[in-house]
Amino acid sequence: MIITEIYIKNFGMLSDRHIRFTDDVQIIYGENESGKSTLHAFIRAMLFGMERGRGKAAAKDDFTRYEPWENPEKYAGVLWFSCGGKRFRLERNFSRYMKRASLICEDDGEELSVEDGDLEMLLGDMTASLYDSTVSVGQLAAAPGQELSRALENYAANFCEAGGGDIDVNGALRILRERRKEAERALKKERGAREEKRQKLLRECSYLEKDMSALSAEFNEKKAALESMGRTENPGSREEREFVGRTGVYAAGGLTGMFIGVTGFVWAQFLNGWKMPGPGGALLFFSVIVFLTGILLTGAAGYAYLEKKHAQERTEKEHDVRWQKREGQSGEASDIRRVRWEIGRIQAEWKEKEIRCGNLREHCAEIESEAGDAEKELAGRCRALQIAEEQMRLAADSLGKQTAGNLNEQASQIFAAVTEGKYQRLDIGEKLQISVWDGIRRIPAERLSRGTLEQIYFSVRMAAADILQEEPMPVILDDTFAFYDEKRLKSALKWLRGQKRQVIILSCNKREEEILKQF
Amino acid sequence: MKFIHIADVHLGVHPDAGTAYTEKRPKEIWDTFERIIGICQKEQTDLLLIAGDLFHRQPLLRELKEVNYLFSALTHTKVVLIAGNHDYIRRDSYYPTFPWSENVRPLFGSKIECVEFEELRTAVYGLSYHSREITEPLYNTATPEGRQRYELLLAHGGDEKHIPVDWERLDCLGYSYVAFGHIHKPQAVRRNRILYAGAPEPTDRNDTGPHGYVKGEITEKGVHVRWFPCASREYIHAEIPVDEDDTAGSVKKKISEYINEHGNENIYKITLQGVRNREVCFDMMRTDTDGNVLEILDETRPAYDFERLYRENAGNIIGRYIERFEGCGRDSETYQALCEGVDALMKNRR
Repeated sequence: MIITEIYIKNFGMLSDRHIRFTDDVQIIYGENESGKSTLHAFIRAMLFGMERGRGKAAAKDDFTRYEPWENPEKYAGVLWFSCGGKRFRLERNFSRYMKRASLICEDDGEELSVEDGDLEMLLGDMTASLYDSTVSVGQLAAAPGQELSRALENYAANFCEAGGGDIDVNGALRILRERRKEAERALKKERGAREEKRQKLLRECSYLEKDMSALSAEFNEKKAALESMGRTENPGSREEREFVGRTGVYAAGGLTGMFIGVTGFVWAQFLNGWKMPGPGGALLFFSVIVFLTGILLTGAAGYAYLEKKHAQERTEKEHDVRWQKREGQSGEASDIRRVRWEIGRIQAEWKEKEIRCGNLREHCAEIESEAGDAEKELAGRCRALQIAEEQMRLAADSLGKQTAGNLNEQASQIFAAVTEGKYQRLDIGEKLQISVWDGIRRIPAERLSRGTLEQIYFSVRMAAADILQEEPMPVILDDTFAFYDEKRLKSALKWLRGQKRQVIILSCNKREEEILKQF
Repeated sequence: MKFIHIADVHLGVHPDAGTAYTEKRPKEIWDTFERIIGICQKEQTDLLLIAGDLFHRQPLLRELKEVNYLFSALTHTKVVLIAGNHDYIRRDSYYPTFPWSENVRPLFGSKIECVEFEELRTAVYGLSYHSREITEPLYNTATPEGRQRYELLLAHGGDEKHIPVDWERLDCLGYSYVAFGHIHKPQAVRRNRILYAGAPEPTDRNDTGPHGYVKGEITEKGVHVRWFPCASREYIHAEIPVDEDDTAGSVKKKISEYINEHGNENIYKITLQGVRNREVCFDMMRTDTDGNVLEILDETRPAYDFERLYRENAGNIIGRYIERFEGCGRDSETYQALCEGVDALMKNRR
């Protein structure tokens, strides 16, 4: 592809400007602030369009930087180019409200569509990012505080891993890692909340269990009390009382008989004293019999009493207790009922608590096994981010090795040409660190001068352009050679001329022009 | 013969219902149950059929007393109930030994039993769960014995682990009506014949849609049933569409509009779907100002045209990365990984 002409209608500091280009190496000389970088940005914007950023990013983006102060609706331009033997006219309007792009083949008047990707086809799938990291060359720039050699290695490493220098793979990996950490924290929190819920239920369970063991202790106590009551429950023997009653009757009868007998004997003696035979003799006889019967009865009663007393002595204690018990018998029955009722209450309470406990345990198990939706989503996100990280590493690794391999060959040739054979090889190693080979020693990048580092940078970019681009694109060099000495500048320009490429050199220095005249 | 068929009341459950309603949910579920008993009394319904899972877990004695008290206040209605897989009958369950009010006729056997109501010319068949799961298809062969004019089956389950049912066979057994429980979403398996009443109140965050009970009448002309809603709240899973023009603020507004439209008394699970602007991050915003949003899931994907991106980046890391995800489904974790990775790479373009 060759850019043949551009027309800048209104772009940054430039307006209404026509510039024609040849298909060879050419130099556009301009002093500082004359609009060289604006021209550079214009070509890029024409080829790849210009997206307006959103939010904060918009304040610093190219669109805002180059938007003209006056006539913003004329924020536009035209670029003529030839490609594959045909000539094309590409027109763009960048303004906010009239954004438009048209592409016409000037040979046959066919109107092509930028939106549908016709331009991309013509550019040989060159993208803005590839353009930026290859053919559009500025100076090697280091971040504040960064060694230039590190910046170069980063460029190369990144270029290789990203397959084009415009994407910071490590930055992307860092973002993914941060996001994963954040998701993991959220997941942990969510899990913690669930666990806490479970612990709360378990605590309730253990309170219930404590209550239950207290209840079973109480139960055993009551049960024991009830048993001791049950053993003394049979009533005292009735015979004993009856026996006591009978002894009394015998004794009373015996004593009465003796008294009557004695009275009868005295009465009989009295009658005999009066010398009245007949009834006196019969009365005496009768009273003697009554008296004797009385003695017998009294004796029997005495014997029975002694027997009883003897037995009583043996069981006196027991007997006393029985009598006491017997007196409170109705109170004792209600005691038993009360204890029985208590036992029933304890059993019921215990069972209620046991079922409640069982229910709580069931609930616990459910909580344990069922993660909430938010938790599932977070877990999924963690896994997704993990996968993203792994895949990105793998992609970067394979791409890095492949690109580095190809790059080494090409870049070494260019570098050797630029340094006129002082260095024979340029090596981007396994870990994507850069070193050069001067035929004797291997010199790591950090030991090289600024100029040499710039030349490596140039070589790598040019090599990359060759490797990555199907359609040879114009090379635009924006103050690239400021740090080159005469000799190396000469060999670099010589090398560029030897390429079948359009080369546009933007410079604030007349050196390039003078050297080029010598060829 | 007029009847009301309820199921899956799940008394005693504590469902997650957002910060505003979780506390009062258990009581609301009792209240709704009480309300249904009230309807039975008011309308002098002949039969209240409870098709299992009246309780969420093993009922406590005091809970049974409470329920029995409510039943005992019914002057006309007879109650038939069975135990489901949640309140299944264990050795220590109170169910079998509980002294029910005389109008309550439980079917607590593990095999099909029958209660008859001469005055209603109705017989109700049924069995109860004695374990959490029953895999035998017990209902397929539970032929009614022709004891009464109208024969009803009170059943619970219907899925693989809870008495699987061959609906065709069940339909041919000859029941006038089969009152099913277990599935919380109300549905008619066979119109006017085999119905899931559904839970009267949603008892889980995934019990979306309306909930209520079935009211029916069996006459000589046949069976006619109608479903009535009675739940005090609904769980609503809302899918809020998001497009490239949305910001966190506009999405918030969409959510609150949706909730206002669908009722503040309901409980919401919000899923954001569609594509979002690459610069906007919703970050699982907590917009639960009224306490009725359970969660907001962000399923939006950044607005990337992966095919175009792949075309543009064929040789570089973005292209290589996209390549590795070729053929992954749109709703998979891998797809999410693709989006995240490309997003991270795009944010690191220089």
